[in-house]
Amino acid sequence: MRRIWLAIRVFFLVLFRREVAEAVEAALEGRAAPPRAPVAPAEVQTPKGPAPAKAPQRSEALTLLAALQREARFVDFVEEPLDDYTDAQVGAAARDVHRNCRAVLQRLFAPQPLLGDAEGSEVEVPRGFDPGRYRLVGQVTGEPPFRGRLAHPGWEAAKCDVPSWSGGKSAVKVIAPAEVEL
Amino acid sequence: MATQYVIGIDLGTTNCVLAYAPLVSDVPEVRLLDIPQLVAAGTIESRQSLPSFLYLASPHETTGGALDLPWATGQTFAVGEYARRQGAEVPDRTVVAAKSWLCHSRVDRHQPILPWGAPGEVSKISPVTATQRYLEHLLGAWRAAMPDAPIAQQRVVLTVPASFDAAARELTREAALAAGLPDDFVLLEEPQAAVYAWLAAPGERWRRDLGVGDRLLVCDVGGGTTDLTLVGVTEEAGELQLQRIAVGNHLLVGGDNMDLALAHFVAGLFAEQGMQLDPWQSVALWHSCRAAKEALLAPADSTQSRATHPVSVLGRGRKLIGGTVTVEVERQAVSDLLMEGFFPRSRIDELPARQRVSGFREIGLPFEADTAVTRHLAAFLGAHAGEADQEAVRPSHVLFNGGVFKAEPFRRRLLDVLGEWFGAGEDAPRALAGEHDLDCAAAKGAAYYGWAKQAGGVRIRGGTARAYYVGIETAGLAVPGAPRPLRALCVVPFGMEEGTEADVPGGEIGLVVGEPAHFRFFSSPTRKEDRPGDMLAHWSPDELAETDPLEATLPLDEAIDEPYVPVTFRSRITELGVFELWCVSTQSNKQWKLEFSVREEGQGAE
Repeated sequence: MRRIWLAIRVFFLVLFRREVAEAVEAALEGRAAPPRAPVAPAEVQTPKGPAPAKAPQRSEALTLLAALQREARFVDFVEEPLDDYTDAQVGAAARDVHRNCRAVLQRLFAPQPLLGDAEGSEVEVPRGFDPGRYRLVGQVTGEPPFRGRLAHPGWEAAKCDVPSWSGGKSAVKVIAPAEVEL
Repeated sequence: MATQYVIGIDLGTTNCVLAYAPLVSDVPEVRLLDIPQLVAAGTIESRQSLPSFLYLASPHETTGGALDLPWATGQTFAVGEYARRQGAEVPDRTVVAAKSWLCHSRVDRHQPILPWGAPGEVSKISPVTATQRYLEHLLGAWRAAMPDAPIAQQRVVLTVPASFDAAARELTREAALAAGLPDDFVLLEEPQAAVYAWLAAPGERWRRDLGVGDRLLVCDVGGGTTDLTLVGVTEEAGELQLQRIAVGNHLLVGGDNMDLALAHFVAGLFAEQGMQLDPWQSVALWHSCRAAKEALLAPADSTQSRATHPVSVLGRGRKLIGGTVTVEVERQAVSDLLMEGFFPRSRIDELPARQRVSGFREIGLPFEADTAVTRHLAAFLGAHAGEADQEAVRPSHVLFNGGVFKAEPFRRRLLDVLGEWFGAGEDAPRALAGEHDLDCAAAKGAAYYGWAKQAGGVRIRGGTARAYYVGIETAGLAVPGAPRPLRALCVVPFGMEEGTEADVPGGEIGLVVGEPAHFRFFSSPTRKEDRPGDMLAHWSPDELAETDPLEATLPLDEAIDEPYVPVTFRSRITELGVFELWCVSTQSNKQWKLEFSVREEGQGAE
């Protein structure tokens, strides 16, 4: 009984929703569904009462950018054309921007090398490795485990503590407020 | 619900930290609580510490809940990192160093006086209220993170400077209870907490590192204050015991002085090049100097570092690179400035320079006139010299605490100076081994102390760090124009233990019924031999310091015929370390508690 009902649902979902159709096609061919944002199942979309007035949300990426600008003047630095300045001038500013950017990254992400091995040393890429953790370059042939020279040990965030933001609608995209001296 | 955690709170002059540990565990597992706080309007970030700054926003800035916290809406002020940042650019609305005001007996600490010197439009708050706000924030963070462990049921240990006198402790207590700390929270001296943090290391290491007769100097130089304490190692029934021997005076000199001195010096270098910094640039320079301090202090002779190090002030506005100004700062000059200014190689008999007293001294905080920590240290060690010591008590070990000592050159210099005083080589006082978390040791140690109290770990015995005296005017013929001679009656001896009380013999006085009776009140960190009932006729200003007066009123409706009641004093130190002084009628057994009248200006304070 359950399977009959499922079949009917799948029939209509495949007909009307492209992402379901793709997933079913993938399942029939025996490969994993293409990675994508999870889609809420149809039955969740039952109408509810009026949604409560929600505070405007914004992307964590913008909040991170705001933190880098606030503490390290990152946006000012990158947005400024370098053509008119000598290397010494750029270097003088870069030293401070660099130090403060690093402080932000350390505090929010604490980046660590993905592999503990020294650059240039020989490392093994295990069987069944996650391609998100290893990028193979050069002559890639044969079957893992692979052996190779570590060109870059990679980075991994030990944490992800981006600040939370709660502001007004007109400030959703603000990276840095205008400063007015009274 | 039973008590689950012990919570250690370090209420610092510039930073607050909260550590906690599960009470029921075989080994202490001390952790730090991340404290969500505003880092900008409408932006909340969790940090390990809460800067002790409070920003009183103008009404226009609070619209839309810009200062709201996850646990509090409609906020009109901000505490923490955002307030610290605002402090530099909007000083009139930012409360700083409330803790130092708390122990400043020349002002009424219940009155809204902070930010000091703010214009009338700003609704100021009192030092006590500011302290309460910091604690409320910490407790809010706790409730949000630990909804199943209500604060009222946890064991809380709050640290205070060892140099806080009884009145400042009472005010801290008042603020803490108002903020919602449980009634039975305990006050612990900060340098002791730092020692507990070191004791917390596994394996009873301290028993190997310390032996009978050793004396441990705790040198705590924080952002705004310097706190000195001496802990001795004794033996009792074959067991090593730790005993707090002495604490220093409250010294208002710390890392902020160094950053400011450095900024001032670098501003002079800019001026030499014809660049006058505007107020905004000066603030930015202060931050740059704070960040560059350690790089600047790196020894100039080491091969990898150049003789100079650049210090920059970034351009304001969007023209960041174009507006940046830079000077090359000589490392040697910085070393001279900070080393010789704050840790000079002074002699052991060299005492801190005194401020010349002018007739019109501003009331503000009594910052130290002499910034040399080494000279203050010499005065402290000299004041507590025992009979066995030559001219100063000789510490065998040093425990550093406070952010200033993150700079290794300062630690080395202090040890060098101690070596010059007490002999170098084997005999030289040496730093305690082990990892030291200079920023969070007090909070962690406070949590460990609470745990050790339950689990039976080693404890530092100490009792009161001072002896206390009540001023008694002598009876006798009045001499026109001359005040009656004042004597000091000892009511609490040095080292009086928690949970004990003492009846003060002699010193019977008459209390007038229905009128408030005032007593001048004195304390001494150095007079260790005085017993309760001892009456001092003479003392030097160095020995006894006057603090807030005490006050008691005998209600009129008592069944008393006489216009006055003869009383004697009874002092008590509660289990929680709270000082109480009572007047006991010699006729009935009635007693009345004396309260600090911090509402009045300390009379006759120097």
